[in-house]
Amino acid sequence: MTVSIKAQSVGLRYRILRPLTLRPKDKRLLKTGGTISGSGRRQHVQALEDVSFELSAGDRLGLVGANGAGKTTLLKMLYGIMEPTSGSLSISGRVDALFNINLGFRPEATGRRNIELRGLINGWTRQQIEEAMPEIIEFSELGDFIDMPFKSYSQGMAARLAFSVATTLTPEILLMDEWIGAGDAAFQKKAGERMNALTGQAGIVVLASHNDKLIRRVCNKVLVLEKGRVKKFAPLEKKRA
Amino acid sequence: MRMTLQEVFKGALAEIASGFRRYPVWVALARESIGDQHRRTTLGPLWLVLNYFLFAGAFVVVFGHRNEIENFPAYVATGLYVWLLMSETINMAVPLFRREANYIKGTTLPLFVYVMRLAMQTVIRGAYSGAGWIVLMLFLVQPSLEQWLMAFAGLAVIVLALPAVITIFALLGAFFPDFEFITGNLVRVGMFLTPIFWIHGNDGGLRQMLYEYNPFTHFLAIVRQPIISGELPVMELVLCLGISAFAWVLAFFLLGALRKKVVFVV
Ligand SMILES: Nc1ncnc2c1ncn2[C@@H]1O[C@H](COP(=O)(O)OP(=O)(O)OP(=O)(O)O)[C@@H](O)[C@H]1O
Ligand SMILES: [Mg+2]
Repeated sequence: MTVSIKAQSVGLRYRILRPLTLRPKDKRLLKTGGTISGSGRRQHVQALEDVSFELSAGDRLGLVGANGAGKTTLLKMLYGIMEPTSGSLSISGRVDALFNINLGFRPEATGRRNIELRGLINGWTRQQIEEAMPEIIEFSELGDFIDMPFKSYSQGMAARLAFSVATTLTPEILLMDEWIGAGDAAFQKKAGERMNALTGQAGIVVLASHNDKLIRRVCNKVLVLEKGRVKKFAPLEKKRA
Repeated sequence: MRMTLQEVFKGALAEIASGFRRYPVWVALARESIGDQHRRTTLGPLWLVLNYFLFAGAFVVVFGHRNEIENFPAYVATGLYVWLLMSETINMAVPLFRREANYIKGTTLPLFVYVMRLAMQTVIRGAYSGAGWIVLMLFLVQPSLEQWLMAFAGLAVIVLALPAVITIFALLGAFFPDFEFITGNLVRVGMFLTPIFWIHGNDGGLRQMLYEYNPFTHFLAIVRQPIISGELPVMELVLCLGISAFAWVLAFFLLGALRKKVVFVV
């Protein structure tokens, strides 16, 4: 089975499920972003609409678009955190994802313990975790900090750890949301190489970012979202030197 | 989008099955949570035992004199043990999904994993304070092996009901934020409305109603009666099993219907 992603006219509509509460209504509402409809307790945001694209082994897709265009939503849907409310989505391959760095890490636990927990969550066996541990620690270059609580890490250190965990047991599909910028130049270079290696092994990378340079360096295709709709889906021609 | 009953049923089944299959995750997370609570303390989880002793001691001293309840200290200590176990679970269940929002929005773990994590955590905490309870009972009544077995059967019934109760309260808490304050107050008042340190005199009236229509009464009784009177409370056991079965059915359908919506409200 080859690795692939196929989205056919996928849509996602957030229902603003306002928690039932006795508090007076909050009148402030979202200004940028998707399309809001409905009123009272039944409001919707159409975050994605009629999104179609196909990716196959070796593709590195850059997701771009203004704030609220639907990038994160699309990634979360690809990961399986949310189901599309319309259209169909088929994904084959083992998926791992890096969202907001703090999502999925426990602040009180040490880096090492967080690696174990992430491993268990991803469904690795104890043995796989033990085997991967030294490599993860080495790649992250965290040194003695690996035995310090996660909350004592800087943004970049956290990003290093998150990236190392997510990529060491090479996932077939790797989803990333605008975060890699937190790593310093040296780490970004290393991470870029690893992403290339990953797609070289017939994997897929989807990277959402506002950083044009990063997208150009890493990706070979680009999907431009505008208010939840696909504005452009095209190969990215390499910049000549 | 309306869900058919079949979808609800299938969803709940998948959720619970994969939740159980991921047991290494909830065992690890439960240990982590207990660790989080006690990381900075010197006595660690021994605080749980100490806390229980303190509570039980205070109740016995305050309500103990001129009390006609047979073996009052053991009556209070056992009732309190079961009550604390259940009420703390409910208090922690209500904000469960909101507290785990980080994981719920960032991973694809089934919700039932978080439910089992809390159930496991309750069992671990219960084992610590349970050690204190056992010591007290050895002092106060020296129960026979038979009495111990019956009491532990009662505890087992409670443990079986835990995941269902946690599921229900956690879902309610996720969709209705006010629920946290409602249960918070009810649990505080419940401590006095539940026969932990009192008994009704078969005289009818409000007190007897509170006694009989309060489900906690019966969960207390299935552990306490064997210790105090050495009898197996058959009626109460049947009632508790019935309540648990009902809770499981309710939890099952709520989970099936709401599991994909929780990520949008936490
Ligand atoms: N939990 C939510 N409930 C309701 N609406 C949401 C929710 N999350 C996102 N949205 C809406 O969905 C739309 C798309 O949001 P999304 O987070 O996918 O944008 P994005 O492209 O990642 O933006 P950014 O560049 O700021 O990260 C926005 O209009 C946003 O308001
Ligand atoms: Mg985003």
